[in-house]
Amino acid sequence: MAEDNREPLAGAGALREALWALLPPTKEELVPELGEKVELGMARLLQEATELFCGGRRSECLQASEAILDYSWEKLNTGPWRDVHKDWRRVYAFGCLLKAVCLCDEPGNAPAVAEALKVCDMGLLMGAAIHGDILIKVAAILQAHLPSGKRPGPARQQPGTKKARNDGVPVPDVASERPVPRLRCPSLQHFRKQFLAPGRPVILEGVVDQWPCMTKWSLEYIQEVAGCRTVPVEVGSRYTDEEWSQTLMTVNEFISKYIRDESRDVGYLAQHQLFDQIPELKRDISIPDYCCLGDGEEDEITINAWFGPRGTVSPLHQDPQQNFLVQVIGRKYIRLYSPQESEALYPHETHLLHNTSQVRRWQQPRSSCALCAGLQGHQQPRRARGLASARRSVDLSPLGKRVISGHSPSQGGVSTGPPSPTRPSCRGLPGAQSDAGTCGLQPDAALPWHPERRDIAVRCCQGVLGKFTLRSTQGDGDAGRPVSPGAEC
Amino acid sequence: MAEERRGSWFGFGFCGFGQALGSGRGRQVHSPEPLETPGPGADVCRVSASWSYTAIVTRGGQVQLSGAAGGAAGGCRDAWASEALLVVLRAGPAVGSRPELQAWAPGSALRGEPLWTHTLVSEAEREDAAGGEPQARALPLLPGARAYVSPRPPFYRPLAPELRARRLELGGEHALLLDEAGQVFSWGQGRHGQLGHGTLEAAPEPRLLEALQGLPMAEVAAGGWHSVCVSETGDIYVWGWNESGQLALPTRSLAEDGKTISREAGWPSEGDSDVRTVGSEDGAPAPFIAIQPFPALLDLPWGAEAAQASCGSRHTAVVTKTCT
Repeated sequence: MAEDNREPLAGAGALREALWALLPPTKEELVPELGEKVELGMARLLQEATELFCGGRRSECLQASEAILDYSWEKLNTGPWRDVHKDWRRVYAFGCLLKAVCLCDEPGNAPAVAEALKVCDMGLLMGAAIHGDILIKVAAILQAHLPSGKRPGPARQQPGTKKARNDGVPVPDVASERPVPRLRCPSLQHFRKQFLAPGRPVILEGVVDQWPCMTKWSLEYIQEVAGCRTVPVEVGSRYTDEEWSQTLMTVNEFISKYIRDESRDVGYLAQHQLFDQIPELKRDISIPDYCCLGDGEEDEITINAWFGPRGTVSPLHQDPQQNFLVQVIGRKYIRLYSPQESEALYPHETHLLHNTSQVRRWQQPRSSCALCAGLQGHQQPRRARGLASARRSVDLSPLGKRVISGHSPSQGGVSTGPPSPTRPSCRGLPGAQSDAGTCGLQPDAALPWHPERRDIAVRCCQGVLGKFTLRSTQGDGDAGRPVSPGAEC
Repeated sequence: MAEERRGSWFGFGFCGFGQALGSGRGRQVHSPEPLETPGPGADVCRVSASWSYTAIVTRGGQVQLSGAAGGAAGGCRDAWASEALLVVLRAGPAVGSRPELQAWAPGSALRGEPLWTHTLVSEAEREDAAGGEPQARALPLLPGARAYVSPRPPFYRPLAPELRARRLELGGEHALLLDEAGQVFSWGQGRHGQLGHGTLEAAPEPRLLEALQGLPMAEVAAGGWHSVCVSETGDIYVWGWNESGQLALPTRSLAEDGKTISREAGWPSEGDSDVRTVGSEDGAPAPFIAIQPFPALLDLPWGAEAAQASCGSRHTAVVTKTCT
């Protein structure tokens, strides 16, 4: 929209009307229905906030919604994420809803609309759906009332003309390693029998050729569709590094700071359920048919997005679920080891990083591939040499899944995964699902917004613990990891 | 403390529920204001503040609730307020009968039946409850120091007698215990470093804080995800989560906001001494600390000595000794 921001936003009254049209018509219907988990004090506050809202007492309603958010945020940070009761997430989402709509009550206040969109995003990231996923609809309306998502300022660069960053990460020589086999559109039965059942990796070609994202996606497109949306970004090359941290920023800020520009830091939009947050992007992708071979229901399939510049490195780790990784833009180097070799890979002993290896440099990889967007390639097979025997034995979750290692020289991966019988928002940690109950540890199924990951990096800066092996260990790989909170909204 | 000071009670913080903090003007009370007491001349000896309501106990044995929960009852020696549960220690119905611990739903207004009761049977328990100062063994530590009460089931949790607990404080996900020798123990979840043992691992049983061994502590306090203790010499040690600056260490969130945020409080303080709310330091070039997993010594401004500390879910308040 070509609006001049110095004047009141045209259609500000239209914004208010559009938002109110989404809401339930009566106060009674607006108050969320919640169970006993939500205590008396909060139940009263919710009633009160709704009354203030319906009574047009905007600033008091804002205060009340802040209190709702403060308290429910604490509930969201208490205990493992999988134990956080969904009602508290609904409360949080409700607080976000009230706050966002109240912020937009003032006509012509463009920064308030941007903040309201941030608030919606926080509700989507941490909350649970209320009133028929109303926050998605609110976000769509707010986005339509913001200035265009295209990045202002210098002319857009083509990805190819971007300055190459010399970050000292060499592009691995795939030819010397054992390749992952490639097949063109195998049948479901063949895939299941030869790869899924025995747990062998494979590259499938031709499966996603018709997905709209293959032709539509570019930096400009993503900025247009999702530029103002707030997403979690990991800053730092590896999540086992000291300086690694997580933060929130808009997609525009992320692209501008970490993708287009020569940033000293590596920023990675990693393992985020972007497509739940931004349905417009979800329309550009699909779910591979092979996913129906999994054990669970279709609505338990999680779809994560991975979006980063060159040089993102993920330490060797094991994913808790079988999954497919789809490379849309750019290329990614991935190195794999068999689960049978887990002991030789020195997993961290802490439950937090128990799916992650401590090793940084690898001598004898088992399998590897360079996953390029739409490319075919053939690697010379080479016999893998034996690995050194383990010096210590560690309990590992007997998931029988591929140990995955990956290294991302470039941009833009999208991964989808087959369903698993358990809660899909568990991230990257073995034992997080019920099917791995044999693992004696109970690591966190992480909050999408989990404090520990960031805090580990900062803690190491304080020179803390000999016992934690984080300082002396790194790895290569592609990781599933949770995201930690920035400030709440 | 051996003797109860007959001071006045003040309160400040979030009172959106009309928790009878000060005048109750508006939603937040920014400076300490006198607490409304149950009646003229009522001598308040114990105040326990939850998020949405406050429980006040008088020397006359009256417990009164104000805020989202209301109601009053007699025959109470002690009360402990949490959002999920209100716990009161009541004298037995008849003279000489055993004192009883009761857990009530806050919304019950102390009418009807409690959710759960526990009669104090052992000699140690009854002696402790019967004699002297109600502050001697404050809830959630039970008289006799053989057990404590938790807002989550199981409500009654035994303690090893060799711990010789003097004081026990419950945080959001952890517990702190101060023993007769001034040693501090912690247990529970450790995700945010709140146990102080130097790791993020949980501890299922009380574990001694080795970093403080040999330093006798006078007070302990537990917040949502952080811990504070005050030594007999007036030093403060903090550990745990610093995401909101609750440890007075540099924090990213406050550096970005550029101001000290006051969070929900409701902790009343005695009128004579100085109260400071510890939020954040400004302009520190030191790296941000999100978690402090073992105790750090905190320097108070002007070299003040601490007398007492208390924690809200994400903030800390310290009372200093008046300077002489």
